[in-house]
Amino acid sequence: MKTFTTRESESLPAKSATNAPMLKLSNLQGRGSLEEVAMLALEFGRLLMEAGATARSVEEVTAQVASGFGAERVDLRVGYASLAITIGRGPNGISRMRKVGPLGVNQSLDYALRTTAACIERGSWTVAEARAELDRLARTSSHHPDWIVAPAVGVACAAFGRLLGVDWAGIGPIFVAATLGQLLRRQLASHHINVFVSTTVVAFFSSTLCGLGARWAGSATAPTAMTVAVLLLVPGVPSLNALSDILEGRPTLGSARAVWVAVILVFITTGIWLAQSLLGEGR
Amino acid sequence: MNLPQLFHNAAFGGVAAAGFGVLFHIGIRALPWCVASGALALTVRTIALASGWSLEAASFVAALTLGAAAQLIQSRITVSRNALEVVGCIPMIPGGFAAKAILGLFAVATQHAPTTHEPFILAVENTWRAAFTIGALGTGLAMPTLLMRVRGISQARTDRGTAQSGVMAPAGDTKSNDPGPLFRRRGV
Repeated sequence: MKTFTTRESESLPAKSATNAPMLKLSNLQGRGSLEEVAMLALEFGRLLMEAGATARSVEEVTAQVASGFGAERVDLRVGYASLAITIGRGPNGISRMRKVGPLGVNQSLDYALRTTAACIERGSWTVAEARAELDRLARTSSHHPDWIVAPAVGVACAAFGRLLGVDWAGIGPIFVAATLGQLLRRQLASHHINVFVSTTVVAFFSSTLCGLGARWAGSATAPTAMTVAVLLLVPGVPSLNALSDILEGRPTLGSARAVWVAVILVFITTGIWLAQSLLGEGR
Repeated sequence: MNLPQLFHNAAFGGVAAAGFGVLFHIGIRALPWCVASGALALTVRTIALASGWSLEAASFVAALTLGAAAQLIQSRITVSRNALEVVGCIPMIPGGFAAKAILGLFAVATQHAPTTHEPFILAVENTWRAAFTIGALGTGLAMPTLLMRVRGISQARTDRGTAQSGVMAPAGDTKSNDPGPLFRRRGV
């Protein structure tokens, strides 16, 4: 992951003499330089964003990390694709920025990061120890294997089907279509296919498969089943995060998330529409 | 109150929440909490709907109840409050309404000679229902957190919970649950 930084001494050479002590400030309570602490806090923030946390959580955790290493002031800007932090102690301060990767959902990593940040804030870890722990978490945080996730998604969509009034004959096709759709989604993601294209392809595949299966099984609710089979693609976490961010005073990030959710919904519906057109359903 | 319907919705809400818990990489041991959160949310929503409330109002009350319950038990469980709230609300996300709304708008756009306004009205109705339901869910979940933060006890409770669980606490850490100068300054 590329890191973008701005050194005040480079951008403002006339003030370099004044800023030099600030940049060379090497210790915060003997536990790391401002540079190290800022980058570590940003790394926590980046991983949290990519794990599906709200802006408030990101702000709290980065503040916990920075204050745990002796920062007296922490200001964080949480953007959709980047984070910027300014930390300071006494008269000294530093600003750094970090790119954020694609936003996903990993609640296991989210929980581990929050717990670690709470320990950093209370404890006496060094920056190096915290960095090692962070690397370990990023590397080893629980990722369920596809052979567990795909059937679980199938079961979840089948349960959705019952909640939305699909008859029992339509439940089996929903399970199969959603399970295979999730496997296809993982395959497309592993080949770095654009997320919007991938969404339409998976929606079309799952919806068509479910429609054919529901017809074969004699379901009277095939059109609803075709919609339910793609609910695995509905971005529930980003939509809740969008609203949460707006309610908590971060409308820019919330709006960006909301737009992303709306576009994903359009692409999901395009897939369903293509499938229904192919099978002549929903007219 | 139709009890079989209530049990049906609670059971399938719990199953859907657990399935999405796996998708969101929640630990296997925490899945019973996901089942409980989904079942609680769907139970409250079903009761509210059976009492004649609208879908939006019922979703709001269900999310509010779930958010409050997650606040109360967060120090006793090994899954983050946020995760519990999200998976509990996932079965209530109106994905079906959203899809119907956009399909309806597609249909309106492809009508060559519209003879009736009904498809358009239906599409607009579905759009607003989806938007208001998501709004109700988000607001319902956020309210307990915002209220607790106003009272200034949310952070202290989180710290206490982490200290009680002792997860990954550095050896010899005997420092108190002081939320730190940053949180004091901001009044969090």
